[in-house]
Amino acid sequence: MSDLGEFRERVRDWCAANVPTDWRREQATVTESEFVAFQKVWFATLHQAGYAVPHWPAEWGGGMSVAEQVVLYQELAAHDAPRLVLAFVGIHHAASTLLVAGTEEQRQRHLPAILDGQIWVQGFSEPEAGSDLAALRTTARRAGENFVVNGQKVWASGGAHADWCLLLARTDPEAPKRKGISYFLMDMTSPGIEVRPIRNAIGESHFCEIFLNDVEIPAANLVGAENAGWQVAQATLGAERGMTMLELAERLGNAGFRWLVEACHDNPDSRVQDQVSAFEIEIAGLRGMCRELVERSEAGTAGAADASIVKLFYSELLQRMTDFGVQIGGVRAHTVLTKPTSSGWESGAWVLDFIGSWEWTIPGGASEIQRNIIAERGLGMPREPSVQ
Amino acid sequence: MTELDFSELHDELRAVAADLLGKEADREVGAPLLAQAGWTGLEIGEEFGGAGATVRETAVICQELGRAAANSGYLGGTVIGVGLLNLLQPSALRDRLLAEVAEGSATVAVGVSAEDRAVDPAWTLDAEGRLNGSVPYVVDGAATWLLAPVTGPDGALVVAAVTTDAAGVTVENQPVVDETRSLATVSADRAVVEILSFAGDPGVGLATVRDRAYLGLACDSLGLAEAMLDATVSYLGVRQQFDRPIGSFQAVKHACADMLVQISVTRQLVGAAVAAIADGDPGAGRAAAMAKAYAGEMAVQVAGKAMQLHGGIGYTWEAGVHAYLKRATLNRALFGSPAAHRLRLTEDRR
Repeated sequence: MSDLGEFRERVRDWCAANVPTDWRREQATVTESEFVAFQKVWFATLHQAGYAVPHWPAEWGGGMSVAEQVVLYQELAAHDAPRLVLAFVGIHHAASTLLVAGTEEQRQRHLPAILDGQIWVQGFSEPEAGSDLAALRTTARRAGENFVVNGQKVWASGGAHADWCLLLARTDPEAPKRKGISYFLMDMTSPGIEVRPIRNAIGESHFCEIFLNDVEIPAANLVGAENAGWQVAQATLGAERGMTMLELAERLGNAGFRWLVEACHDNPDSRVQDQVSAFEIEIAGLRGMCRELVERSEAGTAGAADASIVKLFYSELLQRMTDFGVQIGGVRAHTVLTKPTSSGWESGAWVLDFIGSWEWTIPGGASEIQRNIIAERGLGMPREPSVQ
Repeated sequence: MTELDFSELHDELRAVAADLLGKEADREVGAPLLAQAGWTGLEIGEEFGGAGATVRETAVICQELGRAAANSGYLGGTVIGVGLLNLLQPSALRDRLLAEVAEGSATVAVGVSAEDRAVDPAWTLDAEGRLNGSVPYVVDGAATWLLAPVTGPDGALVVAAVTTDAAGVTVENQPVVDETRSLATVSADRAVVEILSFAGDPGVGLATVRDRAYLGLACDSLGLAEAMLDATVSYLGVRQQFDRPIGSFQAVKHACADMLVQISVTRQLVGAAVAAIADGDPGAGRAAAMAKAYAGEMAVQVAGKAMQLHGGIGYTWEAGVHAYLKRATLNRALFGSPAAHRLRLTEDRR
């Protein structure tokens, strides 16, 4: 057996012994603090096995090859493991930011802490800066060894539980909008921070508004140069998209497709079965695209629009699949009022999954923005003239 | 050979093919040119004058022929025909046919109908061992040899071989709207044939031939869709309306983005099918069905959108978009509709 085959066997054995059975049923009715505790225990369990941050460099506790990571996420999905929801920003965005643009001191301070369970939130979007992120208005004014921050962030997922925040703020109000932004690490226990959960369309409250009122951030928490925050964000935003999309695609192809097959199993309508087969084909294509994106990212040969193609296709496929599940489920599907926390975007609670799928087509670059990127960067089509 | 070597070889093959096909203004690529380029003999053994390559290379040519919407006999004669010959037991006739196909002096047509996904043998042998039957929609049926899958005297599936100018054999051209493909009704009435046997399991052999047909069409649809997207993007960059290139309008560029997404998905499915068939993977049939179903629908949508985005010019005969759209719709229908291929996946779930 190949090394990779042996590795797969090892992960399978580990999953069989460690993936909690029955977690979906239990997590359907938990309180917020029970959800947080469950997430932290699951993260620690994965970390102990060396499976929490496989994509990090070996010196920081990762070092798994890309081929092994693919196997790991395939098997975690196949064994229906809970998702890492709370740790997500920390192990992906915060870590890649620190590894790409952070100082050694910043890495020493935060990477081990993330492994110990430190939770991160992304403070990028603002009420007036959504798709046009560079229009952000939160200011950071230099005052001696500190920056003083004022403004408002929104759509900060997991903000209520976060220990630290990746913050974009304007440090030069006179500069062109992309040239006056800086990137900060902000301690969420600092005075002047108020976090208010926003109830989303399916009744959950993981999105938060963050109000910043004269919050002091030490200058040592600046990532990259002052006024170079936009470049730092661009360099680190897409860094983890390949592997995170691969994990989601594997989950859609495992649990997601299983729910659909089960829901449709006894349906005698040949059009229903035809549509299920059509989804099966699209999932096969999606999984292939994710594997290729991961490999090409590793080799440095990924195209400028490859990640956008995958994100757009995944989010719209998720929406179409869950919509189909809602239709197949009929009125009965509407009686399922909760979905398990820690699950993927496809939990089998069709109506909530369908409504929740807009959380994929809107954030992280709405589908319309993705299509612009694909057309302009992937196909080289002319940009829209800017309004004078 | 490593993957990298393969990819370099394929890039080279692709460039040569694109160059050669680009010179054929009327899209007509006859058997001599195919043989001269070495394409009919790609998968034929070196001992018969071929290149001893694999279905991976054949797939590259199929994609380029689709990109050029070329009128060639490649699907019937090589993808299906050589595919079948390679599965037969060596014999004087089989070896001779391989050599003649490689050099371009003979062409073969496999007597199966492209009307459905299934390719059940539709011929019979009478008591004297003569071939009878009539099969419609034979792809590139106007070949010099007919290879007819038929149940032999001992009940096993064999292949009856006969020249198409032999007594009792008729080939009637069947015109279709897509002028870049040739279909024919091939009939035999008490034709004297020579029997060729499969080297391995005949059922598996015929399934492989069938999967190759699906794959050839999927590659063709992929290539023609790529050509349509390229042509459309290029036109949208120069055509001006409202004082700006129309490609700068989001309604227009979003349509192109969707075309690229669909093409990207198809590339994965086609790549998986090529690899599965080349490796003799047990999942080859499923992979080929997935590629055929998705590519067939995708190419019609992409070519249709290309016609729309070209505007009035796109609807003219001169622009040529119509040839691609017609070919895409015929590709979708040949050897089973997308729904027929999805039904196979449905049956697998039962």
